[in-house]
Amino acid sequence: MSMRKTNPIARALRALALLLVGLFFLFPIFWVLLMSFQTNQDILRIPPSLFFSPTLENFYAIISGKLVTSAGTLEVPFMGNLLNSVILSTASVAVSLLFGVPAAYAFARFRFRLGEDIAFTLLSFRFAPPLLVVLPLALYFQDLGLNNSYLGLVWVYQLISLPLILWIVRGYFEDMSPDIEHAFRIDGHSWFATFMKVSIPLARPGIAAAALLAFIFCWNNFIFALILASADKQPVTVGALAFVTASGIQYGQIAASIVLSIIPTLALALYAQRYLVEGLSLGAVKG
Amino acid sequence: MSDLILDRISKSYGKTQVLSEASIEVKAGETVVVCGPSGAGKTVLLRLVAGVVEPDTGDIRIAGRSVLNVGPERRDVGMAFQNFALYPHLTAFENIASPLRARGLEAGEIKKRVDEISKLLRIEHVLGHTPRELSNGQKQRTSLARSLVRGPGVLLLDDPLRNVDAKLRYEMRLELPRLLRNFGSAVLYVTQDYKEAMALADRIAVLRAGRIEQLAPASAIYDAPESIEVARLFGDPTINLYPIRPEAEGGAAVVRLFGQTWRLPRGREAAIDRDCMLGLRPEDVRIGGDGHPGGVAFELEAVTPLNVRGVLYLRGPAGEELLATVPERDIGQFGRGHRRIWIDLPAEKLHLFDRQSGARIAPAAA
Amino acid sequence: MATLSLDKLTKVYRPRGREPVLAVDHVSLEVGDGEIVGLLGSSGCGKTSTLRMIAGFEEATEGKIRSNGREIQDLPPSQRDVAMAFEGYALYPPLRLRDNIGFALLRERRPRSEIDQRVAEVAGLLEIEDILDRYPSSISAGQQQRTSLARALIRRAPLSLLDEPMSQLEPQLRAILRARIKDYLIQNRMTTIFVTHDQTEAIALADRIAVMEKGVLEQYAPPVDLKERPANLFVASFIGEPPMNIVDAIALEEGGRRWLQILDGAGNPAFRVALAGQASALPAHGGLEPGVKYALGIRPHRLRIGATSAGTEGLTARVFSRQWLGDQTHLGLEVAGCSFVAVADGLVPVQVGEQIAVALPLAALHLFDRASGTALRHGLDAETRAA
Repeated sequence: MSMRKTNPIARALRALALLLVGLFFLFPIFWVLLMSFQTNQDILRIPPSLFFSPTLENFYAIISGKLVTSAGTLEVPFMGNLLNSVILSTASVAVSLLFGVPAAYAFARFRFRLGEDIAFTLLSFRFAPPLLVVLPLALYFQDLGLNNSYLGLVWVYQLISLPLILWIVRGYFEDMSPDIEHAFRIDGHSWFATFMKVSIPLARPGIAAAALLAFIFCWNNFIFALILASADKQPVTVGALAFVTASGIQYGQIAASIVLSIIPTLALALYAQRYLVEGLSLGAVKG
Repeated sequence: MSDLILDRISKSYGKTQVLSEASIEVKAGETVVVCGPSGAGKTVLLRLVAGVVEPDTGDIRIAGRSVLNVGPERRDVGMAFQNFALYPHLTAFENIASPLRARGLEAGEIKKRVDEISKLLRIEHVLGHTPRELSNGQKQRTSLARSLVRGPGVLLLDDPLRNVDAKLRYEMRLELPRLLRNFGSAVLYVTQDYKEAMALADRIAVLRAGRIEQLAPASAIYDAPESIEVARLFGDPTINLYPIRPEAEGGAAVVRLFGQTWRLPRGREAAIDRDCMLGLRPEDVRIGGDGHPGGVAFELEAVTPLNVRGVLYLRGPAGEELLATVPERDIGQFGRGHRRIWIDLPAEKLHLFDRQSGARIAPAAA
Repeated sequence: MATLSLDKLTKVYRPRGREPVLAVDHVSLEVGDGEIVGLLGSSGCGKTSTLRMIAGFEEATEGKIRSNGREIQDLPPSQRDVAMAFEGYALYPPLRLRDNIGFALLRERRPRSEIDQRVAEVAGLLEIEDILDRYPSSISAGQQQRTSLARALIRRAPLSLLDEPMSQLEPQLRAILRARIKDYLIQNRMTTIFVTHDQTEAIALADRIAVMEKGVLEQYAPPVDLKERPANLFVASFIGEPPMNIVDAIALEEGGRRWLQILDGAGNPAFRVALAGQASALPAHGGLEPGVKYALGIRPHRLRIGATSAGTEGLTARVFSRQWLGDQTHLGLEVAGCSFVAVADGLVPVQVGEQIAVALPLAALHLFDRASGTALRHGLDAETRAA
């Protein structure tokens, strides 16, 4: 809906507002990016300056796994942490998809007693503050022997990824007209064939978006990994703590590790941003 | 080919009773149209026959055997949906071929049958397109082709012409009877449009509030509607209805309406001293010139042409509304402003209904 | 209470990264004081864009809009003194229906009693008087549409713009509501422009109809002229349910007479119509040229069943479809390979498969140029008139 010729002043003000908002949100990331190329001295210098001679030694330290400090050479397990993040996030999302997609379908298509209550309960796990459950969990894990295991962590990560997948994929199925599935069954196919050949292919954008979001949330998780895993299973979120050393906080390496941690999820999100928007708007597949 | 029998089907969703002891029988080769106002009843009926929903009580028999709890894939049913329900990720060819693939027919036979039916429905040139690339008319024909290709015993058509533009709808209305006759299935067709029902049906089942109010050929439905609601559903403009109370006068039943007394034809004595509704179809109103003897003066307030007829919006002496239709060639004489004209009610065309129950008060057998 | 004039009104949409779309192509028309005008066409023809430009929700790319002689195309909607009923109803969710309808009157600071009375009047007209105290979310689409219409009509604005005002209406209500609305508009002398894709609705309500296709105004005329004297093949086949029957024809000379040879669907000769009067004269004198492709049209209810008439004696038709609709019968007829639809009053006692005599009266035939679609002649009898 366009009113008269758009006021050029209004347009300029609008652009300015967008710029300010953009700066506000992107500034921390920009600063961290800068820091990752600076030495600790440059970082701590007052006043902070945009001009400095960039160095790659932070990245080098992380990747090679050796950090030279005034107190000696430290082992830096960052690459191991990165691998853990990948393993944990991927496995968690895979498990969540395996259970979540059929469950979402059941919630969307079938009406059964307590259905709504069960769905809400599962969704409510998302709202529960992890801090509340993590200590009891730690004790249980001790008893079960699941402490510091991939299995244990993937299981706990379901608290993060499963509700998300259920929520988004269920909405996607609900938006899909059931008539298409009915037509396929009337044609002569079993309900399982219908689920595999019609329901899932048509829900692909929603499933992809949900999986992507779940991956990002799992990747970013801190608390569960901190309490329930020890050094060799820790993901990057926890691994960054290693840079708070006896000889001082290694800001440069923290910044570099942040940059490296962001890259996988950023790349994934950029690649699939179209699906994200579509999936988040809970799709509209018209029959 | 199969017979289809619905035997006292009831279905409710939560507190709403959607279908109530509905019974319909469709013979092979027959088309029964279920017609009624918008509401879930008609579509639910089709879904019950298709097997995607199960009834609460009652039985459904196809070719003599009960199909309760038999999955849709084993019922020998074809269905065309109101919103087409085509598979968006497959081509038109694959959409139509789907029932044949489910049967495990071999590729050569599948191609032959799909080509045959698409030629019949004039969509052979778009078989390679996906649904997104088809026009609404082509989507509708693809949906029809898919439902017909297997030559099912029972064919279910859920308001297939609803989402198609007016011109195409009219063309299909002309073409469908011919098409359906070729296949010999028992056809259950659902629509809200009474004209479609009258055009396509061997018999019409009028469904209202979950009950079948009348199941009869079109002529019985139109000329002898069993209830006020059936009378209102069939006819455009809708039948005129007035509350009246016939009295006995001089050995006959008379009705006082529009400030006049009208004699009812013989055999309506059952209506005397009962609260009734009088029904008069717009095309049955007789329009006279000035001072037409025996008629009533009405005020003509507006003329709205309706295809090949014209609708006169009239107001009676006490403000009663009356719609009458005249042939198109007669519209010109009425002009644009209000004017007085005379109307007459032909006694034999009056319909009488009991006001309480809505049921028709039939003329007593002579 | 207002006249409206569109002067070469044009709208071009320029979506980013795609071809510009000419939605409205230099449309010019005049609407008289108190006249009811319908903009009719299929989706994408430009009718809604035209209405929105008149209302002020779209900027005109070119052209002028004048109301009572005053140019209004640069004014915002609030200054144009129009009332509008939107296709999407646009009701205010937190207000009850009666407050939605009376909203404009409230802003005009009319006394409460007058608002209540006028709301009741309009609600009674549209049969929503018993749901006035409900909220928009709790009523059906048909009721929402009627409420939106009531909100526009109550204002008795000098210019009322209605966008698909009755598309969701329950079928049983359509005839009576159209009649009541038409009476209300005429009695209150409200100049009204409405948009519809339903030609039945347009013909019922409008004094004149602007038929549009692909942004172009095809014909602007009263309904009777659109039916009896369509300007081209598009209008002829768009108007009417059923629409005009159209068949291909060529003129030829034989036995000293001029004939119109009708061709069937495959292009083969089907039957002939003998021409009389001017139509059989030389081309220079208004006659038909041999070898030129023409199209012949006849409206469904002008076909004479079971009769003969001059020019088409001895034609028999096979009935392939018979639809009795209560007050009229529609017949599908096959005449020598050509399909016709005929409409007759009441019940016609023929069976499918029967052969009956049929006649195409010369006075009922319309002639079009096949290539351009333009109408050439309405009526091919002796007193033939050029289109």
